[in-house]
Amino acid sequence: MVKLEYIKKQYPRTRRVHGNWYLSSYQYKFNVKRINQCLEHLRKGELVGLKCRSCNTVSFPPRLICPKCLKMPDQWVHLRETATVATFSGTYAKESGDTEPRPYPVVAIRQDGADTSWLANLPEGYDFFKVYVGMPLKIKWAEDKKGDFSDIEYYEPIEDPSIEMNKKEETEN
Amino acid sequence: MGVQPVIVSAGFSEHASKRSDVNMAELMNEAIEDALNKCNCTIDDIDCIINGNMAAFEGANIPELWMTDHIGAKNKPFLRVTTGGTTGGSVAIAAYYAVASGLYDTVLATAFEQQSCGSTTVGLSSVALGEVSIYLQLGYDYEKLRRNMGAGAAIGVGAYQAVNYMSRSHCTEEDLARVIVQNRHNAAKNWWTHLKMPNLTIEQVLDTPYISYPLRFGMVTPASDGSCAMIYTTEENAKKFTDTPVYVNGVASVSNETAIVTSEAGGVGQLDPCEQLGAKISAKLAYEQAGISFPEKEIDYAEVYSPFPNQELMWLERLGLFEENTAHIQYREGITATDGDLPVNCSGGVNSTNAIGASALERVAEAALQIMGKAGNQSPKEIHTAIGHGWGGALNLITLSVLADQPRRKYKGGI
Ligand SMILES: [Zn+2]
Repeated sequence: MVKLEYIKKQYPRTRRVHGNWYLSSYQYKFNVKRINQCLEHLRKGELVGLKCRSCNTVSFPPRLICPKCLKMPDQWVHLRETATVATFSGTYAKESGDTEPRPYPVVAIRQDGADTSWLANLPEGYDFFKVYVGMPLKIKWAEDKKGDFSDIEYYEPIEDPSIEMNKKEETEN
Repeated sequence: MGVQPVIVSAGFSEHASKRSDVNMAELMNEAIEDALNKCNCTIDDIDCIINGNMAAFEGANIPELWMTDHIGAKNKPFLRVTTGGTTGGSVAIAAYYAVASGLYDTVLATAFEQQSCGSTTVGLSSVALGEVSIYLQLGYDYEKLRRNMGAGAAIGVGAYQAVNYMSRSHCTEEDLARVIVQNRHNAAKNWWTHLKMPNLTIEQVLDTPYISYPLRFGMVTPASDGSCAMIYTTEENAKKFTDTPVYVNGVASVSNETAIVTSEAGGVGQLDPCEQLGAKISAKLAYEQAGISFPEKEIDYAEVYSPFPNQELMWLERLGLFEENTAHIQYREGITATDGDLPVNCSGGVNSTNAIGASALERVAEAALQIMGKAGNQSPKEIHTAIGHGWGGALNLITLSVLADQPRRKYKGGI
């Protein structure tokens, strides 16, 4: 591994006392009223978002409070099964079977019909270098549904006609 | 409108990955001594003390109880401020308010971090553990979440911002490396910084492996031990303390929506992590207070909070100093170098030195010192107006201080 050298000053060690800080268990409290309703729909293979009547913003997964107008959204709307990549990155990790660290794609996607993004998964082993902002995806449902986020197995990349158009424009120029 | 606050001094401790010779309190004391020595002011002149650091990173909560004696806070009004990455920026704004309100004449703003004491990972996980727990509860696969969070937490949302910034502006990895090289060269000329790399080249940066695409090992901020202190006072008092007062003409602190994850596992409203509406609003508020109508022309110097190179480009655009998607071109042309038209981060920036709690205060301090002409790596350009910016974590809190060598010309609205 390449290491970048810098001008380093050594400071003498004077005194040091060791201490430990064991993390205790915590009781986090979350209001799952809305998200549970959404998960019930997932069990049936339906995608629903929560719409704020005041500003028409649709959140998926549903949010309890609309950050724009501080109202409680309460109108369920159906969403399409397609989505687009809003942002992505690749974590370089060495997992079982890897000899070298390789990039695992992580993506935040926007479900078509919603105005928010969330962390989603691509098919296992999908080539990171093929991911781009705006890439279209389609949902792949799990075989047996449990009524939680695992019902969406992953998002399958689908054909993107605009890629071909971009290439054509480039060659014309 | 209140009293016009003035900065009379700013001091630093030496920064390093392990300041094994001092503890938190002694480290903080170093910066305060430096600040007091740089102006004609003693600890007896201080009426109020404001202190901040990022909670839990040293394994000690309420650390100010421990360091009261070392920061001269005994028998004096004291206020602790902690807002994550922007702690220093919030400390600066709290000091501004303390003077502007007329409550106190002379205020000492202090911030520190000694990351070698404890575990940054534990500190960070205490921030996000709640969200992670609910994702797992709702059936999100642990292995996949670990990866997603790995990209999110380890290097902030910097990687996501970088991907979107690069996709928008068509800047290359070489452009990112160029920002790093400029910063680390600057750091080598500044006495208190951590990563001093006078001979770093773009090729060397691009030779290091990726951590999270597109950010490489050579591009990310270090974890430093260090502290910073500043003295804020009234116009009247400033005459006693120094010949080079710096006027604080506008401050703003704006929070934006979280990026990547929200509580209750809901959707995130900020689709594009490099849009940064919060920065635009804070710039508008602070410039309005300072009477700045054309930031790109009127501001001579910028200290922006950029742990990652893409952020430096992004902030300069969002704060109105360059047109959108053009910052990387300015770097290619050397506009932002120490002797350029708009010097940026002559101190070396957060990218070379990051004592988290102190980092945002150091931005304001360096901006003030550049106006005074007393900075470690002083720009040869005459600097009249400068900005010091701070950014904090997933919550996207933006702090901004606008400084000048003249009092504000006009004032309309705002705080
Ligand atoms: Zn709304």
